[in-house]
Amino acid sequence: MARCIKLIFLIVMLLLYMLPVYYSIASSFKSLKEIYSYPPTVFPQNPSLQGYIEALRKQDMLTYLRNTLFVAVVATIITVMISVMGGYGLAKGTFIGKIALNRLVVMTLFITAQVIMVPLFVIIRRLGLINNLWGLILPAVYTPTGMFTAIQYMKDIPDEFLESAKVDGASEWVIFWKIVFPLSKPLIAALSIFSFTWRWNDFVLPLLVVNRRSLYTLQLALAVIQGEFGGTPWNTILAFSTLTIIPTLVIFLLFQRFFMRGITAGGLKY
Amino acid sequence: MKKLINSRFLFAVPALAFLFIFVLLPVFSVFVLSFFSWDLISPPKFTGWGNFLRLLEDKWFWNSIWVSIKLLMMTVPMCFFVPLALAVCLYKETTFSKILRAFFYWPYMMPAVAGTTMFKWLLSYDLGLLNHIIKSAGFSPVPWLLKPTPALFAISLLRTWGMTGLLMMMFITGLQSVPEEFHEAARVDGANRWQTFWYVTFPLLKNTNLLVLTTAIAHVFRDFAGVYVLTGGGPGYSTMVTPLYIYNTAFTQWRIGYAYAMSVVFLLISFAIAVVTLRVRER
Repeated sequence: MARCIKLIFLIVMLLLYMLPVYYSIASSFKSLKEIYSYPPTVFPQNPSLQGYIEALRKQDMLTYLRNTLFVAVVATIITVMISVMGGYGLAKGTFIGKIALNRLVVMTLFITAQVIMVPLFVIIRRLGLINNLWGLILPAVYTPTGMFTAIQYMKDIPDEFLESAKVDGASEWVIFWKIVFPLSKPLIAALSIFSFTWRWNDFVLPLLVVNRRSLYTLQLALAVIQGEFGGTPWNTILAFSTLTIIPTLVIFLLFQRFFMRGITAGGLKY
Repeated sequence: MKKLINSRFLFAVPALAFLFIFVLLPVFSVFVLSFFSWDLISPPKFTGWGNFLRLLEDKWFWNSIWVSIKLLMMTVPMCFFVPLALAVCLYKETTFSKILRAFFYWPYMMPAVAGTTMFKWLLSYDLGLLNHIIKSAGFSPVPWLLKPTPALFAISLLRTWGMTGLLMMMFITGLQSVPEEFHEAARVDGANRWQTFWYVTFPLLKNTNLLVLTTAIAHVFRDFAGVYVLTGGGPGYSTMVTPLYIYNTAFTQWRIGYAYAMSVVFLLISFAIAVVTLRVRER
């Protein structure tokens, strides 16, 4: 009996939670005529690729895709480098104010782009990075969650590994590249996956930094075309949405464990 | 004797440089420039407490805070009990529950703009499936994004939908840490499942509960992309949350100094939430 109620509850919730996604993907395959007719159809009656063709042809999706990929890949490489090095420095280095700096990193977990939107814009502008893809990369490469994860990871590397290398006469630089970096493969994998997804999904920074169409990222373009005069047809918008969630879906399915456990530990996004 | 500084610290310099320029500098500049009047073009003019005095009288700023409070009151209960119920059903490590967890988690992973767009389509007044279902059941269609209260409720549904997976995983981690013996002991004493849960398991989840609450509050409070795409603050100012109001003040009216003053208030509230969250976590 209890089991039956549980199962019914789960099925109802699953249907509710998947409804927006299902209805949007189904609608993205409807023709212009079908999507604007009443009553709405649950399954596309005459499946058509009209929306997808429009999204790719009229909306210049390939340019947005190129921009998004460039930003996501370059930012991810820099994020991984500075986080692995930074985590190592902050966890294993000795210096005055070490505890204070580590606390500071924890505090930054709560300062997201939304909270400091305006001053961030002013600084990016001062650096001459408005309407420049680097303006989407550089402000985003320090990610509090990434840094925090890196510090925690580095703390677990035994000091003896580093000491014995030092006794053998290795320089700090050699110790990092020959010992620490190879030991950090799981960390590097996690940071890459997270960072790529964050940059791919990001909306706030592109909205602040870019207003030239040729520099739009996918998410920014998707938001802008909805507000345009005359309006973009819904099947095009939904085809656009569907295409942009596919990469994150693939990454999510491949690395599910990372996300569901990792984020719970870190707690917050960015 | 141990050295006070060793060269290993230098590895942290690039990360700290980015931290300084793009996180700390914005935070500090907010506090300084909130005392200036500035439109980005002419040089900033010192106005003392002027911005803050104006802030006290700005009814749209207080409206935005009130909108956030209303959103919190609608969203937080849903964001607490739905993930809790799901976690109770799915906390055991079986293949079935792992697959279902992934489904509920996915909306959290989706790009906010794309996910919100899909929600907007579902809630469309005349073309949306939801209103079609409501009409088929014999009720009148809901003007989801066209009237203030339904629009607020739509945002709160969107947030719940997006956050359930994350909060459910927090509850699952909590539930898995409750030793099985506690349940058995309660059952031996004659408690039924419902009683066992409310009198034994739930009180043991105290820290998890607080963590879920603070996380939900933080997410609702600073959500920008969702509101921007779903309602744009409308109809009227009825869903104009604080980050959106700050954005408009800065980038459509170019009152930068005033936007900074509002950011100070927003930042202080965020810090307050942060401090509570950190306290909970350190326990």
